[in-house]
Amino acid sequence: MSLSQEQVKHVARLARIRLESEDAARMTVHLDAVLEYMTQLNELNTDDIDPTMHVIPLTMPLRDDQVRTSLPVEEALKNAPDRRDNMFGVPRIMDGGDR
Amino acid sequence: MKHFEVIIGLEVHVELKTRSKLFCGCSTEFGADPNTHTCPVCLGMPGVLPVLNRQAVVYAAKAALALQCTIHSYSKFDRKQYFYPDLPKAYQISQYDQPLAEYGHVAIVNGGEVMKTVGVRRIHLEEDAGKLNHLGQRLGDAKGSLVDLNRAGVPLIEIVSEPDMRSADEARLYLTELRNILSYLDISDLRMEEGSMRCDANVSLRPAEYVGSLEELPRVEIKNVNSIRNVQRGIEYEVARQAELLEAGERIIKETRGFDDQSGRTYSQRSKEEANDYRYFPEPDLPPLVLTDAFVQEVAGSLPPSTMALREELREAGVQPKDIEVILSDQGALTFWRQATTLFDDARLVTNWMLSDLSRLLNAHGDTFATSPISPEGLVELLNLIKRGTLSGRMAKEVVDKMYETGKPAEAVVKNLGMSQITDGEAIKKVVEEVVALHMPVVEDYLSGKDKALGFLVGQVMKKTKGQAKPDVVNTTLKEVIRAVGEKT
Amino acid sequence: MAIHEFGVRELADRIRAKELSAGEAVAAIFDRIDKTEPIIQAFLHLDPEYARRRAKVIDQLSAEELQHLPLAGVPIAVKDNMTTISMPTTAGSKILKGFMSPYNATVVDRLEAAGAIIVGKTNLDEFAMGSSTEHSAYHITRNPWDTNRVPGGSSGGSAAAVAARMVPAALGSDTGGSIRQPASYCGVTGLKPTYGRVSRYGLIAFASSLDQIGPLTRNVEDARLLYEVIAGHDPLDATSLPQTVESGRPSLPDWRDVRIGVPKEYDGEGIAPRVQARYHEVLALLQEQGAQLVELSLPHTRYAIATYYLVAPAEASSNLSRFDGVRYGFRAESNELLPMYERTRAEGFGSEVTRRILLGTHALSAGYYDAYYLKAQKVRTLIRRDFELAFGQVDVILAPTTPDIAFQFGEKSQDPLQMYLSDVYTVTANLAGIPGISTPAGLIGGVPVGIQWLGAALQETRLLEIAQAFEHLWPAQPWPSVGGDL
Repeated sequence: MSLSQEQVKHVARLARIRLESEDAARMTVHLDAVLEYMTQLNELNTDDIDPTMHVIPLTMPLRDDQVRTSLPVEEALKNAPDRRDNMFGVPRIMDGGDR
Repeated sequence: MKHFEVIIGLEVHVELKTRSKLFCGCSTEFGADPNTHTCPVCLGMPGVLPVLNRQAVVYAAKAALALQCTIHSYSKFDRKQYFYPDLPKAYQISQYDQPLAEYGHVAIVNGGEVMKTVGVRRIHLEEDAGKLNHLGQRLGDAKGSLVDLNRAGVPLIEIVSEPDMRSADEARLYLTELRNILSYLDISDLRMEEGSMRCDANVSLRPAEYVGSLEELPRVEIKNVNSIRNVQRGIEYEVARQAELLEAGERIIKETRGFDDQSGRTYSQRSKEEANDYRYFPEPDLPPLVLTDAFVQEVAGSLPPSTMALREELREAGVQPKDIEVILSDQGALTFWRQATTLFDDARLVTNWMLSDLSRLLNAHGDTFATSPISPEGLVELLNLIKRGTLSGRMAKEVVDKMYETGKPAEAVVKNLGMSQITDGEAIKKVVEEVVALHMPVVEDYLSGKDKALGFLVGQVMKKTKGQAKPDVVNTTLKEVIRAVGEKT
Repeated sequence: MAIHEFGVRELADRIRAKELSAGEAVAAIFDRIDKTEPIIQAFLHLDPEYARRRAKVIDQLSAEELQHLPLAGVPIAVKDNMTTISMPTTAGSKILKGFMSPYNATVVDRLEAAGAIIVGKTNLDEFAMGSSTEHSAYHITRNPWDTNRVPGGSSGGSAAAVAARMVPAALGSDTGGSIRQPASYCGVTGLKPTYGRVSRYGLIAFASSLDQIGPLTRNVEDARLLYEVIAGHDPLDATSLPQTVESGRPSLPDWRDVRIGVPKEYDGEGIAPRVQARYHEVLALLQEQGAQLVELSLPHTRYAIATYYLVAPAEASSNLSRFDGVRYGFRAESNELLPMYERTRAEGFGSEVTRRILLGTHALSAGYYDAYYLKAQKVRTLIRRDFELAFGQVDVILAPTTPDIAFQFGEKSQDPLQMYLSDVYTVTANLAGIPGISTPAGLIGGVPVGIQWLGAALQETRLLEIAQAFEHLWPAQPWPSVGGDL
């Protein structure tokens, strides 16, 4: 095993996905097999190879600093599960974020 | 007491005052109704893509050059990932390992001398997060929080210093100079209270016997302090707190702390269940930012004179070091000073009046030099009346108050108050003679050697002239008249 | 020929000539959909009302105005991972159930500006992650040639709708083969353009550095017509290429002038003998026509799956973080933020999406980034170089699209790694950013199989000309009988 169930649980916490134990066990089996397969990349020496950041060479296009019409607030909020005072409501924040 | 060296590094976030956001066309205007400056891009809707604002790059480059940084011809953007309701995409587009600029420095000045040079490690561009409004009293209240994304995507530059500062005072001076430099670039509102300039301070103490690297010292980060003064207070508190712990043989924990304005203390923010893992990786939606030499030259050509050059200008005009720093810290004040000194050749008198009486009035009314109801021309008119001897210093103070109140020029105020100094020797002599005649016993006291008696007589003359008689003329005239009286008797 | 049997060109020509109204075309299309959709289930949303309204607008235009509309009145289906204001956009996920986008994808705007009529949104594997459309949160889609088989994926709904002649054309998206593989399974033409050729603005990102939108049609010419409409620079996509898109009548090549690369890595291990035999048959036919076959090697092909399944999930894990139950989409109620996040995402995402998010998060996490994500991006450079070298020698590379024909429902979905391995022939084009087109190469046991033409970056025009020439060469096949119409 190159991946432990603890690691899978840690990753699930980072990704903010609740994993029940049986799911964690099943995911561990799958991911372990996949990662095992990935180890073949180590056959290649890539020390002097640049990573592909952008597959077709291009440089950053720049936009003029012009204000464009924003969405009507009605549109911005129309899909919100909890809308209050034209804002997006969230439940109380105890330890919900990384900040 | 053990000896510790204080190690301070600052991370300063500055909101750039572009018209539109960093990656979309929404307005950056402060204070709009919640979520009225949002679009699919800054709301992090499915399918959207960022497009970089040219002006933000220009502003960031200006800051980089003014802070003596090297601008990289190739830089890139990365995603910094974490979940929080004010971060719509759950990642912030920032620059991680190839920032826009590096290797700069800021000279900090104290008492007119360069005290030391603080390194600027890097400057990078990134987007701001939205704003959370906590219902109830505070974070964690049962009613939850409300998210306003007007600020999400507003361009920021982050300026990271080297850990070169050794006291809270140096940190204050660095921040002050940083703000000075940036203010002349006109790229940000720099309002710490509105959050358009924000500072995080990293503080650690190095025991004398410590030989390891600075990076490995346990470091405390004081987050989001809202004024330069409070950065200084927070650091002072933190230095004392850490010194106490170390002296007690305890360990410093690497943590993030908040600053409480009321008590002046820092406090531990909830310890994290697990360390942050931002999972940075190159932003695939944005190609590399390539800045040509021509671009950098053009930006360099648009820079205003440096703060050091401005200091030199003021010093040559005879302004005292302490006053130089005050004028420099306020672009409006410098503009005012420059206009006034072109019209009036006594720069010291201009400086004194600006920084004493005019400043007092501006502060009292919540105005600034930029918005001052008394213009540089108006002040100069007043100074000319003083110089010509029409007004005494004391009278002028009264006049300036009225000018501020009424918005009228100095001459008009003087006329209205019927207030011009009586310099006419004959007129004064007449009044003096009246006073002497009325107070002969006092005159005799004076003649018999009671010097203090003269003061009373001067007072009586001033009273009769409503304070408009020129004091030195009154003095001489009184003495002349009394001498004549004494000779008679 | 019934109206629903017309291709894009045939419909547009008739509508422009006012021989047929857009209203009639839309009516015929919805008749066809009414008959076949209950069997195939290619769509997640259909909007006949909207289509009729749009048709009315087209029908009010003058013949002169219609001349400027290359897709005048042509009904088109759009994969449901492209945003539309008029219809919901779900990406086949529960987490976006009922989501109404406040903006149109650039491709949607371009289609409509060209006169096309969007009739509905097609089914897909959730967030385009999958090769069978079985991973849709809503329902499966059946292969019109054999309803016990998958249509392929992730653009399975688009491929099935085109093959069943519910629409003459559909848009798909291709991250690792999601246009070409279902095209092969359903016997239609599917083009994945060069990365950056078609704007991704409004395409719900799966893997940003690999995703590309393209057409699925019943012939190469129609693919070209759609491609010319949707391709070209878009200021809203910073990765959009600035080069202009060639248009006009194709000049079909003389096979004697065509050098065709035959990569040995695509002709061995893992390929089903029946597909290999067909591939060889095609090669022999081309050689007979005078085409020059050049055997070549793309030596890093064997690392493509490992590379792809690190890069794509890593980017996906980031792109899918925005589905957090705050601004839109599904939310699992909780009175605290952290459990709200964790339950929303656990309940909102299906298991394949969860698996890839976990894989990608792991590949980017502290201590693993260099070994996984960075390593994969370096190997990707080697894979790109293989192709650059190859295109120095040949005009086009010919390869099988898939190792086998469409599989039966449930046959493969139990073992994720086996499922991933079947993408072996398609992921390389995405990793290298080059264009690829899958065209039908007949039936095997009544089920279609495709072959894939790969070209150098930005060589779509040449690629389409070669594919079209092959189409003329290869005997046409009948379309599948669905809903008892044949």
